[in-house]
Amino acid sequence: MKLLRPVLLNVFTWSLVFLIAFPLVWMIVTSLKPQSELFRIPPTWIPESVTFEHYWRLLSETPFLRYFRNSVVLATTTTLFVVALGTLGAYSLVRFTYRGRETLALLVLFTYLLPSVVLIIPLYLMMVTLGLSNTLFSLILAHTTFALPYALWLLRSFMEGIPEDLENAALVDGATRIGAFRDVIFPQLLPGIISTALFTFILSWNEYLYALVLVNSDAVAPLTTGVMSMLISAFNIEWSLLMAASVMMSLPLIVVFAFLQSYLTSGFGAGGVKG
Amino acid sequence: MANVIFKDVHKSFGSFVALEKLDLDIRDGEFVALLGPSGCGKSTTLRMLAGLDFPTSGEISIGGRVVNDLAPGKRDIAMVFQSYALYPHMTVGENIGYPLKKRGIKGAARAEAVQKAADLLQLGALLDRKPKQLSGGQQQRVALGRALVREPQVFLLDEPLSNLDAKLRSYMRAELIELHRRLGKTMVYVTHDQLEAMTMASRIAVMHGGHVQQFDTPDAIYNRPANRFVAGFIGTPPMNQVEGTVEGGDFVIAGHRVPIDRTAYSADLHDGPAVLGVRPEAISIGSGEGLPATVRLAENTGHETIVTLELPDKRRISARVEAARRLDVGQPVALRLDPAAIHLFEATENGARLNLDDTPASVIPMRST
Repeated sequence: MKLLRPVLLNVFTWSLVFLIAFPLVWMIVTSLKPQSELFRIPPTWIPESVTFEHYWRLLSETPFLRYFRNSVVLATTTTLFVVALGTLGAYSLVRFTYRGRETLALLVLFTYLLPSVVLIIPLYLMMVTLGLSNTLFSLILAHTTFALPYALWLLRSFMEGIPEDLENAALVDGATRIGAFRDVIFPQLLPGIISTALFTFILSWNEYLYALVLVNSDAVAPLTTGVMSMLISAFNIEWSLLMAASVMMSLPLIVVFAFLQSYLTSGFGAGGVKG
Repeated sequence: MANVIFKDVHKSFGSFVALEKLDLDIRDGEFVALLGPSGCGKSTTLRMLAGLDFPTSGEISIGGRVVNDLAPGKRDIAMVFQSYALYPHMTVGENIGYPLKKRGIKGAARAEAVQKAADLLQLGALLDRKPKQLSGGQQQRVALGRALVREPQVFLLDEPLSNLDAKLRSYMRAELIELHRRLGKTMVYVTHDQLEAMTMASRIAVMHGGHVQQFDTPDAIYNRPANRFVAGFIGTPPMNQVEGTVEGGDFVIAGHRVPIDRTAYSADLHDGPAVLGVRPEAISIGSGEGLPATVRLAENTGHETIVTLELPDKRRISARVEAARRLDVGQPVALRLDPAAIHLFEATENGARLNLDDTPASVIPMRST
């Protein structure tokens, strides 16, 4: 009995890992197989010959790089918007007392509860009225609207963890409110800002529905819709190109995550206030 | 000149009145303690002086300059927070140097000032550490260093010792007294600990319910409390307060007469209900003549014994006797009260003291534990 428990636990865990990892592994494997090997039965687990031709074709013969650039601009700008607005909003919600503060915070969260499908048509009409339809900026605005509420709440809880006395001390020491924010609040908030930025970036990078509805020009399409329309048609799916594209789409996220994760954890637990 | 004046200051948060008609005149170089239970308005008073809160009405001035609308950084004050509020991402040196940095003092001049403050507080070896690598006492000293590096006009201290353990607290208390003597700057010190206020302050403002109850020297606060609140707040154990009636030359407690000297009290003292106040050390326990009582509890602290006594009508009072004195629980005794140490108060909830204040303060030796 004593021996059985860890064994069962291990079996369970590893099957879970396998279940999650398999599509990823298969994606990479498929992207490296030559066309001839793709549909062989039984399938080959390890490609008999490894080829990078799909990657080469993707980069040289398709507008993949343009989509990629669009996605980078889209996700980065959205993240900047959301972090800037979210930080200032959270600061206001935590530090200032005014009428309807809590209601405002709840209302913001409420918009987050609505399914995006409900908002997409009004948003589209608004973009048309504003003359922004079919621009990258319309997507940036749309992504900001759905990422901001959650970001605001996330940052608010981080902000609440920063003792007010720290800011008061800076004010007494001669800093202006902005100065106190820059010198004292911001460094304390950095882990929160980074996790919020990460969350927003991933959300915006992977978003499909808004991009599909708000943008139908190939010139401003991000990766998600661009790759789909390019490689998937009613008659044919370019599997090897699709898998190569998927691998390259995942790379930036993996890099960003790997780079920031150590920073995320190192920020926590540092405290100068006792009690 | 850095005197601090609160003139007719009111402060309310919505419908809650935190401070009402606050008048304080703190002299240049004085060490004033704002003492009171939590919620009495002492921290609000300090925060308003710092510029972190604003009075609803009234005027606050520092060194003759009205500061009502002045930003905290422009008031030439420094503050030590209860939580120390050290900047966690800065080193000790950067923490201490921050107020100078904000005033545009650069390079060698700043480094020199930081070094001087650090040396004064024996922090010289710790300048490169981060606050979380320091002990509570060291963090406390860094907070002090950050306050004094700029040589401000007024120091504000908000319960700075309450996060320290007892031993360190008594050490830092002595350090602060020494520091005040050396700097000669005005200090305003908020505390709920009467021992800190009594030992450190040149004057104490006892606060309660948004009002200053008494603003006086520790000696006067102890020996001539202005009202029942102050009498009951200061002293461990506090002053006994027994309700009774004044009848001619006597104060009657549960049918027993305690002689009083009517000439020692103001003309406001009339026959009728009043409250008698007497410090535990002014009660002598004997037998025979006197107010009858029964010993209920004797607590020996080593250098003295605190005795809880029950009067005939079941009310309890405490007395302080020498440690060697043997008293048994249940033992009947007779109490004699030193007539010169009897305070009489109006029989209202926070009745004013009715003694004429020519009572020499030295009649009752001041004790603190």
